[in-house]
Amino acid sequence: MRAAGRVRATGAALALTLLAVAGCGGGSDEGDGKVTLEFLSLAWQAESVEANKALVEEWNAANPDVRVRYVQGSWDNIHDHLLTSFEGGEAPDIIHNDASDLTDFANGGYLADLTGLLPRELRDDIPEAAWSTTEYDGGDGPGIYGVPFLQEPRVLVVNAELLERSGARVPTPDEPWSWAEFEAASAAMTEDTDGDGDTDTYGVAWSLKEPVTQTVNLALSTGGEVFTREDGKNVIRYDAADSSVAELINRQVHEDGTAAASSLGMSGSDTLPGFYDGRYAMLPLNFSFRQQVAQQAPDGFDWTVLPMPSGGPEHGLAQGVVPQTLSVAEDSDHQQAAADFIAFLTQPEHQVDLALGDWMLPTSQRALAEPALDTEEYGWRTGARIADELRPSPVLGVRGYPEWKDKIATPALQEYYSGGIDLDTLREKLTDDGQRILDRYQR
Amino acid sequence: MSTTRTPTPPAVSRPPTRRRLTRGAGRAGQYLALACYLVFLGFPLVWLLSTALKSPQELGSINPTWIPEHPTLENFRAAFDTQPLLRSALNSALVATSSAVIAVAIAVPAAYVMVRYRSRIGQAGTVWVLVSQMFPFVLVIIPLFLVLRNLHLINALPGLVVVYVVWNLPFSLWMLRGYVQAVPISLEEAAAMDGASRLRTLTSVVLPLLTPGLVATLMFSFVTAWNEFFFALVLLKSPEKQTMSVILTHFIGAEGVADLGPLAAAALVATLPSLLFFALLQRRLVSGMLAGAVKA
Amino acid sequence: MTLLPSRAKAVPGQGNRGTPPPRTPAQRRRALGLDRGAWFLLLPALIPILVLSVGPLLYAVSLAFTDAQAGRTEPTQFVGLLNFTDLRHDTLFWDSFRIGMVWALCVTTLQFLLALGLALLLNQNLRLRWLARTLALVPWAMPEVVVGVMWRLVYHQDAGILNQTLGQLGIIDSNVDWLTSLSLALPSVIAVGVWAGMPQTTVVLLAGLQNVPVELREAAALDGAGAWRRFATVTWPAIRPVVLAITALNFIWNFNSFGLVYVLTQGGPGGRTRLPMLFAYEEAFKYGQYGYAAAMGLAMVALIAVLLVLFLRRRLKEDAQ
Repeated sequence: MRAAGRVRATGAALALTLLAVAGCGGGSDEGDGKVTLEFLSLAWQAESVEANKALVEEWNAANPDVRVRYVQGSWDNIHDHLLTSFEGGEAPDIIHNDASDLTDFANGGYLADLTGLLPRELRDDIPEAAWSTTEYDGGDGPGIYGVPFLQEPRVLVVNAELLERSGARVPTPDEPWSWAEFEAASAAMTEDTDGDGDTDTYGVAWSLKEPVTQTVNLALSTGGEVFTREDGKNVIRYDAADSSVAELINRQVHEDGTAAASSLGMSGSDTLPGFYDGRYAMLPLNFSFRQQVAQQAPDGFDWTVLPMPSGGPEHGLAQGVVPQTLSVAEDSDHQQAAADFIAFLTQPEHQVDLALGDWMLPTSQRALAEPALDTEEYGWRTGARIADELRPSPVLGVRGYPEWKDKIATPALQEYYSGGIDLDTLREKLTDDGQRILDRYQR
Repeated sequence: MSTTRTPTPPAVSRPPTRRRLTRGAGRAGQYLALACYLVFLGFPLVWLLSTALKSPQELGSINPTWIPEHPTLENFRAAFDTQPLLRSALNSALVATSSAVIAVAIAVPAAYVMVRYRSRIGQAGTVWVLVSQMFPFVLVIIPLFLVLRNLHLINALPGLVVVYVVWNLPFSLWMLRGYVQAVPISLEEAAAMDGASRLRTLTSVVLPLLTPGLVATLMFSFVTAWNEFFFALVLLKSPEKQTMSVILTHFIGAEGVADLGPLAAAALVATLPSLLFFALLQRRLVSGMLAGAVKA
Repeated sequence: MTLLPSRAKAVPGQGNRGTPPPRTPAQRRRALGLDRGAWFLLLPALIPILVLSVGPLLYAVSLAFTDAQAGRTEPTQFVGLLNFTDLRHDTLFWDSFRIGMVWALCVTTLQFLLALGLALLLNQNLRLRWLARTLALVPWAMPEVVVGVMWRLVYHQDAGILNQTLGQLGIIDSNVDWLTSLSLALPSVIAVGVWAGMPQTTVVLLAGLQNVPVELREAAALDGAGAWRRFATVTWPAIRPVVLAITALNFIWNFNSFGLVYVLTQGGPGGRTRLPMLFAYEEAFKYGQYGYAAAMGLAMVALIAVLLVLFLRRRLKEDAQ
């Protein structure tokens, strides 16, 4: 402790010197009893930014005493931005983020527990599965550290013409493809049109630049979960149920030639030009990618949205998701007011606006039932009908997950998918090496 | 010193025609090599321009073209509509210019002292220049943040200016030291004999001789500050205060998905001022670097 | 503009070596060799440096001996050299350190060779030289994030101009996965690193070239020396100090950079482009292990310093004489 004190003392001495040098500046609080809250939004699509700003204006018009200031953030650097703000005690009051980033922040004591601050109505409107993505054993005991409000499943974005030509059965959320049917359909859509021995159309293009979340989340469809809790500790497993989708992808790429090897290192949007060109027939993509397809697809290009395959009736359309969240900073002087604004933002009709703006699904049950989302156009209805089956991603709430992901899982999965290592080596790396990292966080 | 120095033709030339021929061929080769370099270094500008003028559909094409088939200004409209580009360009210009000017203004006397006084401060300065370049800045940023908060300089452009000044000082000092060394000490001694003070000697004798070096240093500092991203991200919160490089990341969404058209349009707006600056200063930059770099 | 303390030659001259350290403040002040006017000139630079650079730097160094973490829940404890012993066994870090060395050496060398060529050309009296000089600085004028996104497009496997151009020229018959192949990723990002860092090097070398005495070169030409001999005997000796200086700085800068590579590959595929500074950055910012990250930083500073001393030892000896 003495040493720790010394470190602090260095900092304090430094700060004192500075104050002496600069002289004291005054604070800038408004003295008229009015409150100004900062809302750090990560809205990205133009429509979504507009929807957010419109809602902020609506709030400000109705609540002259609690003004909300819209501050634009970026997904590109949100974590760094927040970490430094928290450390420096300058965090925005209302924080838009995603559930996977909340774990460490909640654990670090930076986020307010919203348990007593949210209206009953909102608690009831969002299903328990979604709430569980933001419930952690945080800085001061278990609590709710964010409101999950938008989420997106993975879906198959499919070239309708190639699908029809292949003669494969068109799956629906009620009768999805089994993974075997998906493999058959991929094979049927794979074509060498000019007969030169090179495949011209691949059935599927798996964009696996960031392989970890996809691999873990899709493992749920075959009953896997990768992360389990045993005796209150997080344990990594990678058994048959966990790896069966990964094995399928590997088989498609390296044995059947029905999935493009080229796409393995691509991000979702990297695969789109090849999709419009007919090089790839199906793309497993996040729901919001539909916006890009709608915007970029050449005129006359016919595409459709299908549910991901199912691992069997007992698993349904299960897959893991990481919802976007709204949180309140622990340092905020007006936590209740901030929570009120979040409650306003996540009212069903407002969730619909935000969901439409970001091309995602709302978590609110009542919002999902709104007619605006119940349309065939752009696959909205398919998405809305999957929503019930979405589960919290198993990675949520696991301390040490980011380190496991960067140091172990990402390189190991990249090597596995590109054919560099086999399943046993992969399992060994993910579980043995991986467990050592997790254990460091839960001594 | 002039940058336009023509190679003097040799006094005695033996067979003039052959010489001219080989020289002509050499010249052509030089132009060719230079063209290759310029294509390699300059092509992004063309690509940015072309991307900025393309529609989303063309951007999604698998066969990208250099010249947009249906050029549109839509991306510029979108970029200016969704993000405060002008405001942020203004902020960037303000911060970059003032930090460059301040850095040079305080580096000149310091460099002068480091050169003219044989002192340990000078040694410490050189060591510090190197270490400060070596130590990972990500580790410095949190303590720096705390210091600035105590000075009430968070979320204020002056705070960013202060940080850039300090971060540009090593390189500025490093360069200016060389330029000061190039100034003959006899001039100063003459001034001192006439009864001029240190400060007066510096401003009236040394400074005029340093002009090219000052311009070169200014330019380095300006560009560094104009492009800097991380400090700006961390230190500025209000949208109306953010600088260009931070605003540019707003065109990038989750998982690195970029809104290409508007990003390219905004990037052009961000790149052109620096280029303009280069074009205006390149002659002085080169002749200015001269003395400093060589007295390394 | 010496890279390392050049006062070595001055200090012995003043007979400081061997004398006991000054005891009283007054003596110390005299030993520093500064009068009031000098302090007056130095202070404007010294104060901000002490407060905003040396201070935070020392604070960060002190973190290396603690278990400092992000978050308010754990108190920080002094742990001595524990972080460094951990680091010694961290094979992932040393893998990444090796990648960092390859990256920094390749980028620095290529940057220098290409920049020297360009500088020699730009030093000629060519037409439109002002335009060429401006265009040569384009990479410098572009913000890093834009450079990264743009090169990602260039390297794009399906729709990238690089594959398209090479395909049209008949050099490749199937598209190459530049950024995602285990063997090509590092060379590909090195190419971008060279591209992005060329302007600064070119400008410095160009300045150096301008100072080569024209008379000497002409004399050599009159003696019938060929272009190569003229370069080796006249130009090179004149620019050698500049070359050493900029190469050393470039090496430091390159070793410390990671933003560009992060945008391009995020350290993938399979960790093949995971630069050590990215490693330290993630340790500090993503996992919140400030103490450990600071230890990494210190270790890297120490190793790079050793390398630099080896690289510059001849120059140091010359200085000392």
